[in-house]
Amino acid sequence: MSRPGAGRVTSWRLALRIAAREALRARGRSVLVLVMIALPVLAVTAADVLIQTQSVSSVEGLDRRLGSAAAQVVVPAEGRPMIQAFDPYDGNTSDGRKQEPPAAADISAALGGARLVVERTGGVDVRTDKGYASADSVEVDLRDPVAAGLVDLTSGRLPQDAGEVVVNRALLDKGYAVADRLDIRGKDAPSPVIVGVAESPELRTYPYVAGPVGSLGVSAAYAGGPTWLAAGGPVSWETVKDLNAMGATVLSRAVIEDPPPASEVPAEIRSWSSGSDNAVIAAVALVVVMALLEVVLLAGPAFAVSARRQSRSLALMAASGGTPAQTRRVVLAGGVVLGGAAAVLGVILGIGAGWLLVPVVQRWSSTWFGPFDVPWPHLLGVAAFGLASAVLAAVVPAVIASRQDVVAVLAGRRADRPPSARSPIAGVLLIGGAVAMAVFGTTSGDTGAFLIAGAAILAVLGMLFIVPVVVIGVARLAGRLPLSPRYAARDAARHRTRTVPAVAAVAATVAGVVALGIAVTSDEAENRGTYTPTLAMGQAAVTGYGLKPAKWDEIEDAVRREVPDADVELVLAAAGRGSSVQITAPHHRGPLLETMTENFGSSILVAGAVPSVVPGVSAADRARADEVLARGGVVAFTDDRVDDETAVVRRGHERVTVPAAYVRFTAGSYPPLAAIVPPAVAERLGAETSTGALAVTGTDISATQQENLSEAISAVSRNAGFYVERGYQADQGTKIVQLVLAGLGAVLMLGGTLTATFLALSDARPDLATLSAVGASPRRRRGVAASYALVVGFVGAVLGAVVGFIPGLAITVPLTAPAYSDTGPFLDVPWLMILGLVVGLPLVTALIVGLSTRSRLPMVARLE
Amino acid sequence: MSSVLHLNVVTRVHGEGATEVRALRDVSFRASAGELVAVMGPSGSGKSTLLTLAGGLDAPTSGTVSVEGVDLATLGNGGRARMRRTSIGYVFQDFNLIPALTAVENVALPLELDGVRTRTARAAARTALDEVGIGDLADRFPDHMSGGQQQRVAIARAVVGDRRLILADEPTGALDSETGEDILRLLRVRCDAGAAGVLVTHEARHAAWADRVVFLRDGVVIDETGTDAAEGLLESGVTR
Repeated sequence: MSRPGAGRVTSWRLALRIAAREALRARGRSVLVLVMIALPVLAVTAADVLIQTQSVSSVEGLDRRLGSAAAQVVVPAEGRPMIQAFDPYDGNTSDGRKQEPPAAADISAALGGARLVVERTGGVDVRTDKGYASADSVEVDLRDPVAAGLVDLTSGRLPQDAGEVVVNRALLDKGYAVADRLDIRGKDAPSPVIVGVAESPELRTYPYVAGPVGSLGVSAAYAGGPTWLAAGGPVSWETVKDLNAMGATVLSRAVIEDPPPASEVPAEIRSWSSGSDNAVIAAVALVVVMALLEVVLLAGPAFAVSARRQSRSLALMAASGGTPAQTRRVVLAGGVVLGGAAAVLGVILGIGAGWLLVPVVQRWSSTWFGPFDVPWPHLLGVAAFGLASAVLAAVVPAVIASRQDVVAVLAGRRADRPPSARSPIAGVLLIGGAVAMAVFGTTSGDTGAFLIAGAAILAVLGMLFIVPVVVIGVARLAGRLPLSPRYAARDAARHRTRTVPAVAAVAATVAGVVALGIAVTSDEAENRGTYTPTLAMGQAAVTGYGLKPAKWDEIEDAVRREVPDADVELVLAAAGRGSSVQITAPHHRGPLLETMTENFGSSILVAGAVPSVVPGVSAADRARADEVLARGGVVAFTDDRVDDETAVVRRGHERVTVPAAYVRFTAGSYPPLAAIVPPAVAERLGAETSTGALAVTGTDISATQQENLSEAISAVSRNAGFYVERGYQADQGTKIVQLVLAGLGAVLMLGGTLTATFLALSDARPDLATLSAVGASPRRRRGVAASYALVVGFVGAVLGAVVGFIPGLAITVPLTAPAYSDTGPFLDVPWLMILGLVVGLPLVTALIVGLSTRSRLPMVARLE
Repeated sequence: MSSVLHLNVVTRVHGEGATEVRALRDVSFRASAGELVAVMGPSGSGKSTLLTLAGGLDAPTSGTVSVEGVDLATLGNGGRARMRRTSIGYVFQDFNLIPALTAVENVALPLELDGVRTRTARAAARTALDEVGIGDLADRFPDHMSGGQQQRVAIARAVVGDRRLILADEPTGALDSETGEDILRLLRVRCDAGAAGVLVTHEARHAAWADRVVFLRDGVVIDETGTDAAEGLLESGVTR
């Protein structure tokens, strides 16, 4: 073998053979690495399979939308010429002047004489016990062969005329049964009879109803334009463009299944879909880099221990003429063998897991999934990720192994070289760079978030260089500690090739959790800080606009029925009809209020005292205001300083000057009205009063009561709503995110610590045997293991928390003080969570390690 | 003379069936205070098995092992560990110092494991290191010591806390001959001071330091020399 290329191949073959044997020999360690790499591959694969299965592509969704038709033609813009993407749902717009809309005959002719079937999609409200529920609806002749596949009949029969419909199971659950009449809001003709149960191919938990044209009273205008299903030959892209010119958009089966080149899509439409691609790619790249780093750090210790276990054979190889490159290759080959196996295993199991999970996830989804879908190109990338992480994890141990001191190894000395004095300097420089980048990120607008995320990666990399020094420092300080922690700290420092990646893995996890934790908590602080109450705290009210008195009476009945314990107070408003009431302060220039909403039907309330539901008025102001109202004066709200004692109240030509209280709303509330005038003043000005809101007081309103009352009120009018002010409610999603973060952090930390600890224990076998021989009790092994876990977990957590603050603090700026807002930045550090991570989690991990370690010390017949 | 170590008709079988190996067969053996006994024999004769049984690191298949009159089988794992901390000292061919601990910490190990306060344990360890002549190296790590120095540390660890049974497994195997002689002289001194010593070796000239030599082959005592030979032969004769 004198050819260099052939030599390299042979050398790799040898390396791979040695690595494969070693992997089989050290089964425990191999399984550990396999699990560590296969698990993320499995998780990503399963998630990808689920996402691909759940999403319905244009091709997969054709039968749902077309039935067995060749095309669906819509005339959406009263005949204006259209341009569209291949699938008009991906983008379409009108492009030209209004012209005569095409008639069915014109469309049929353009389609080569295809038969057209009218279809109307839309939504209806159906009567339920509590009020009304919305349902998606389609009107089409379901018995026509062209409609086959639009619905899936599960029982009963298809409707035969406009007096019959089919509904899905979700609608039946609203209180209907087959043979009932379906009560549809606003339909004049007699209610149709439900003759069967048919599932929509798309909607699973949302009510759905289908029937012949006219059965549901859906107007053609409401349905987004006249729509037809075309039964005929395939519709080409040329025909689609012809129809576009006539003013129609076309969903063509032939075009979707075999699309023309992408350049055929009009440029205007094409630009719609490429908006946020760069941001998405950057985010995905960040996630991939962080995940890769984490896996590499987690798997690193295993390869470090493998390389040490092999060190004697590697030294013998070197002694008998092997080059450092060959030594390196043997250790790297371990990464190739285990990484390859883990990648294949992870992908196969991931596909299986995805397949098993599809029905489970389907239960939680409101729409039906597409067919089972395995995205092979993605999975190839995921597998490559697994392989790459294993090979990368083996790089440092491989380089160290190739540089090992052959004589020292053969003489049985087994410590790492002292660390380079330059590495901490490099680390400090990198972290300094990260800080600079994060600070720059806070000032650079939209790209800031990516700069800060990049700074996070830079900081974690910098930390990698500092970990060895810190570990050695801890060992130096350990001299006064009891035996187990002293041994653990010193041993960790002696074997840095396995300790450093483990500590760094824990630190990277903690850094990520701390950074995200600060971000989430600060975001939450912003939400709380900028929350504006609609009503005074603890108050409840029905509000509405444009309601006739009869409707208010109906609503009042509903309130008394659903919340019988409550007192109902009318909140009267000055009606907006005719000239409106205006209030000015004699000595004040400019408007009293810059901005305002009308929460109670009008900007002016008519009352003898400030209604209890009005938010943002302090107790002192309320007393002052009530006193002025009692004297026949008015209350004017302002966001300025007004020293006047009177106000001029005008309506048209009427005008009175009365005593006035000028009240500022408390900070953080948004003015919900402009003024309150007493009934006498309203009368003098000739202003009509009407009900603006109903205050529901005197009792606590439960969530169920609130839901029932809301449903009952929406049955009376769509323009009325019921609201209970419960103050700021933390978003349930935020809490879940925090829990998931903490859980994920705990799992990764436990994983990193456990790996490092058990590898250290297997590495420390001779020491443990010696301990046993000089009389260590069996419990000692647990103590050593727990101490080791404590050292790794604690050092990692402290470093990680410090590093996590860099991106964590920086990200709060773009997150809570966006360029266009005048509030923030908000900063709230979740100290309790950080304390738990830095102190609690290492202790818990140590406890778990201590309890799960076999207490039996190695009892070797012949101590080696 | 009271026997510190007493093996009574001890058999140790490793494995089962086809792979069964009888490492020791009906061996009886005593070592008394102030006595250094050499155990000799070729590789695989059962020398090391005898030592691991004597130290309670392994249990006999049949027969009893007593140290200072206590049957080791009646103690649990924890009790045997306590025995090794307080009564039995081991010296190995490869020194078996713990590389993460300094010389004085290695020597203090049995005391610390026994719950002695660190300060007290270290003081005792320094004294023991002085006695083996390397008090000045107390704060070095094993990697920074020569083989002879490491073995002295190991001996100091084996005797610290006035332990009365020293089990030495080829303690000179990894040393040059001169250093080896120094180590054996140290062992001899400890035995003269009242400890019982068992020295496993395959070199006849090392056996010259012993009061008595026991020859093992294929797990059986084939010969004994020295002061108590008659007693030893008598016992082995009784058991046959």
